[in-house]
Amino acid sequence: MIEVKDLVRQFTSGDRTIKPVNGVSFTLEAGSFASIVGKSGSGKSTLLSLLGALDKPSGGDVLVDGVSLASLSDAGRTAYRRKDIGFVFQQFNLVPNLSALENVMLPMEFAGVSRAARKARAQALLERVQLDAEKHGRKANRLSGGEQQRVAIARALANEPKLILADEPTGNLDEQTGEHIIALLSSLAREQGTTVLVVTHDRGLARMTERRFRLQQGRLEEEARTRS
Amino acid sequence: MIRSRWIRPPGRIVNVVARSIGNAFRNWIRTTAVVAVLAVAIGLALAMLVSNQAVESKVGELNASVGTVLTVNPAGGQGFDGGGEPLTSATAKTAAAVPEVTSVVATKQLRLSPASSSSTGQAAVPGGPGGFGGQGTSVSTSLQPAVAAGTLGNRNNSGGQTSQYGGTAQTRTFQLPITATGTGAEVDSSGKALNITSGTGLGDYTAKSTKALLGTTLAQKNNLTVGSTFTIDGTTYVVAGLFDAGTEFGNNAVYLTLPQAQAVAGTPDEVSSLVVTVNSMENVDATRTALQTALGSGKADVTQGTRGLETAVSSLKSVQNISLIAFIASLATAGLVILFIMILLVRERRREIGVLKAIGAPNRTIGLQFVLESLVLVVMGSVVGAMIAAFASNGIAAALVSSNTSSASTGRAGGPGGGFPGGGPGGGGFLGGAGALLSSVNASVSPGVLGLGLAAVFAVAVLGSLVPALLTARIRPIEVLRGE
Repeated sequence: MIEVKDLVRQFTSGDRTIKPVNGVSFTLEAGSFASIVGKSGSGKSTLLSLLGALDKPSGGDVLVDGVSLASLSDAGRTAYRRKDIGFVFQQFNLVPNLSALENVMLPMEFAGVSRAARKARAQALLERVQLDAEKHGRKANRLSGGEQQRVAIARALANEPKLILADEPTGNLDEQTGEHIIALLSSLAREQGTTVLVVTHDRGLARMTERRFRLQQGRLEEEARTRS
Repeated sequence: MIRSRWIRPPGRIVNVVARSIGNAFRNWIRTTAVVAVLAVAIGLALAMLVSNQAVESKVGELNASVGTVLTVNPAGGQGFDGGGEPLTSATAKTAAAVPEVTSVVATKQLRLSPASSSSTGQAAVPGGPGGFGGQGTSVSTSLQPAVAAGTLGNRNNSGGQTSQYGGTAQTRTFQLPITATGTGAEVDSSGKALNITSGTGLGDYTAKSTKALLGTTLAQKNNLTVGSTFTIDGTTYVVAGLFDAGTEFGNNAVYLTLPQAQAVAGTPDEVSSLVVTVNSMENVDATRTALQTALGSGKADVTQGTRGLETAVSSLKSVQNISLIAFIASLATAGLVILFIMILLVRERRREIGVLKAIGAPNRTIGLQFVLESLVLVVMGSVVGAMIAAFASNGIAAALVSSNTSSASTGRAGGPGGGFPGGGPGGGGFLGGAGALLSSVNASVSPGVLGLGLAAVFAVAVLGSLVPALLTARIRPIEVLRGE
């Protein structure tokens, strides 16, 4: 379960203070499939970085299964990202000189998974995101945008995280592949109890999630809830 | 429970190494350029180290050849040339009393002029540069020199060899004198035991005797063998044995007992030089100073071996210093190249480092990856650099030696004094030999030196890559979201 309590992130520029996240509180049960919508610059990515322990909050806390992220050391936050978080970045952020397969294997390598197990699981995940087998060995920078996004999603699933944070996961995919990815994320939430939080502009995508939040001027409000 | 099934003991190092190798070849053009620069720096460093070791070895060899022997000459004396006050038996006793001195052997030098020279009208004793002002005494002998004066000998002595008699120019042929040494023990003027190839020694070297030792070529030239006789200053001597000094000039010589040589010279108490042996190499420098103090700097010069050899060693030591400095400079260059290229790479891959951290890579793994990546570049640079060193070391060593010893060799032929310089006027002198010693510095890439050099290169490379590796730890994973 993810509990966000009065989360604040502020930036100071000269005598001006900006609060892209200003007193955000919400709770996501394990297995939730949720989305956050908002305009550009509304603080969606900042909130995502706080939930993923990429950044430290100015105030408030995030509790993951009761563990406070604020109490973790840098090494503890790295371990949290390694074991409990799966990121899907808007710009994919794959390692360009590694193959699709190697990119998916990378988080498992950091988690100490054996090579054989890494390879088998990476292949299964790439098949699950519908990347052609012949492209598994292709360098990431030689894949199309949609293919790179699928590899990024497979990488996010590699260590079976508790929470998947996805920033515009279908932004570079065609409609059919996008729907497949959303179905995949939904099934992860439903069948494996993985909590999935998607940040998107796409209202259609947001409507496919069980809980929908809107972030506006640093404040979060829940728009809809189709599952308790 | 799937997770526990596939989590195994980490083999992360292998993966990091593989990734580092892959990263090193991301950009072929840059990699080639970096490796080329590294190869030159590493090659130069190795070549300098090889030269340094070769010169060090040569210095050790030269020092060993001088060993624990000090030579005492009259202050200002230059062999047969120069001036100053002669050494005496009392000087030898004073030297023997200096601590750490184990033995003192006195020598008396004579210059033997072939009797036939007089009959051809040549001056009784041909004066070389410096004339008769030195400590050597010239007497006639029935022996003929085994070494021809040659162009140099005749050129150097032409000034005193042509005269006008009643308007007729008479050109006389110059003959090299024969060197005779009276010695207090069976050693040569550098303290080395005489290599007697046939016959026997002179027995008691501290008593007068008409027995003599002849150099092999001198004996051959004069058709003498053991038991044959010849004359010096009218006195007949018996050839007791033949010796081989190893050089043509060295074998154009005669050894007598010290008192006999002093008697022939008519200076019973005078000696030309003292060969002082010190008890150990470690005590040579201190004893040299003590000896100089005991004898007085105005009365005697104390040198280790010969002055020429000192000059040679001194020149080689400056080569050694230069090569050491160049080795360090080249190493530092290699380290700086690594430092700058890795800083560049870290800056370039800031986002990628952020991604790796975002997906859970520990700082140490990322840092190790960059260190290994730099080592991959260094390995490639080292392979090419070692080949460069293998081809260039000898040339570089030779160039260093020749550029640092040419000034020492120029204008010194004819020789530093103290003992027989190897041929007297026109004879070439010691520095002919020193030049040969210096030019014989052989720089070859031995596995030990190569290993030492590469270890230093890798140590510098690790140091050079540590700063960039530490910089990666400062990159925050939030970087990955910047610009999105």
